[in-house]
Amino acid sequence: MTLPPTLLLAGIERTLNALLARDPAAPSRLARLSGNRLLLRLERPELSLAIHFHPAGLDLLRPEAPTEDAFDAVVELDAETLGELLGGKSIERLMFQGKLSVRGSVQLLEATRDLLLDLDPDWEGELARWLGDVPAHGLAEGLRRATRWGRRAHGEMRSDIAEYVFEEAKLIPGKHQFENLRDHLTELEMTTDRLEARLARLRRQLEREAEL
Amino acid sequence: MSRKMQSALTFLQQFGSLFAMSPHTTPGDQRTTHFGYQEVPVDEKASRVADVFHSVAARYDVMNDLMSFGIHRLWKRLTIERSGVRPGHSVLDIAGGTGDLTLKFSRMVGPRGRVVLADINESMLRVGRDKLLDNGVGGNVEYVQANAESLPFPDNTFDCITIAFGLRNVTDKASALRSMTRALKPGGRVLVLEFSKPVNPLLSKAYDEYSFRLLPRIGQMVAGDADSYRYLAESIRMHPDQKTLQEMMEATGLERVEYTNLTGGIVALHRGIKL
Repeated sequence: MTLPPTLLLAGIERTLNALLARDPAAPSRLARLSGNRLLLRLERPELSLAIHFHPAGLDLLRPEAPTEDAFDAVVELDAETLGELLGGKSIERLMFQGKLSVRGSVQLLEATRDLLLDLDPDWEGELARWLGDVPAHGLAEGLRRATRWGRRAHGEMRSDIAEYVFEEAKLIPGKHQFENLRDHLTELEMTTDRLEARLARLRRQLEREAEL
Repeated sequence: MSRKMQSALTFLQQFGSLFAMSPHTTPGDQRTTHFGYQEVPVDEKASRVADVFHSVAARYDVMNDLMSFGIHRLWKRLTIERSGVRPGHSVLDIAGGTGDLTLKFSRMVGPRGRVVLADINESMLRVGRDKLLDNGVGGNVEYVQANAESLPFPDNTFDCITIAFGLRNVTDKASALRSMTRALKPGGRVLVLEFSKPVNPLLSKAYDEYSFRLLPRIGQMVAGDADSYRYLAESIRMHPDQKTLQEMMEATGLERVEYTNLTGGIVALHRGIKL
């Protein structure tokens, strides 16, 4: 089973390079990164992934027994942390929490993440190459309107459902109601503790008086 | 038939002939070599090889994709991953053809390293050079027209030497392997990517059906030439199997020789280290 991971990696590399080729801002970012090498060591699943940057994109390779001095930065993390990193979580915070280890240039890791997260391919330009300017613009406008409508409809639906469940039907408590209840219960718990302590002190006092 | 169509058919016939050639020498008064399952004089074969390569160079990549369903790119990718090439290394890509391996190696060795793309055929080298230049590769790549049997490099020159789908077409394979070992630095690696013998009987059967029945029919339908495509299958069968090639590499002085079967052994990647 040697080729499936290679096929997967080749597919990811091809997709990323295709996206980078369609992003007008990518060439200047890649020019800054060109020639740099980043080694990503995943703990679970165990995987070493080398990223080589060049002016036209990046190469992804699974090097056999890689030596760290051949790389500008070596990053060690697990799959969950990789997800958080690509989700935009602060690199410093992840390092501080001990989830992420970076040896070498931290800036290279930041620049790599920014390159991937800030990808903004020019879809309309690519469509125009195939369909022509006017149809491509019409199609792109239609897609943009559909996307806006979808986002708005999604937000409104969430809001309506929440209002019905929490306010009208009162099926479950809302977040604020839940927190309010929790605060009351905490206060009741503390008051009960105090009362228990007072009763214990009173009992001890009565026992001492009875002995006298 | 239009001139364009005639040209395409001629190309396909010649491409089939290219793969049919799996030359090797046999002892005797007259040196002969394989042409599929046939024996032909070495001199005659050499001129045919040259003509065919000159003819197919421009569309070599397309035909490779077509005949291997694109899987040759994954085989080459794995070769690169196993090469252990690092920044500053010197790499020799023999029979480098249109530069698939050289392109990646040039990025891996960086500006302090060097990659030599060597091929015996001038047309292939020219196509490879143009392709690499179009991909922005320049400074650290050199182009050398060289015969793998007598590499024009000093001893102990390269950190890594690769030959992908080229050894089969070399007349004297043992001589080529000796030449590579000589040019390799101590600690360096030789990687040989080549067609081999499928290990699974079912796959072998399917592969035989594809090679000996389907390919010639495609050749007959598309190019009106079934024989060339039959030769392709024959030439692959004439190439040493995994174990034999491993022993040949060990005989040249390479150590820790190992091989990895790819796609069930249809192709094998051999690697040896010079200690």
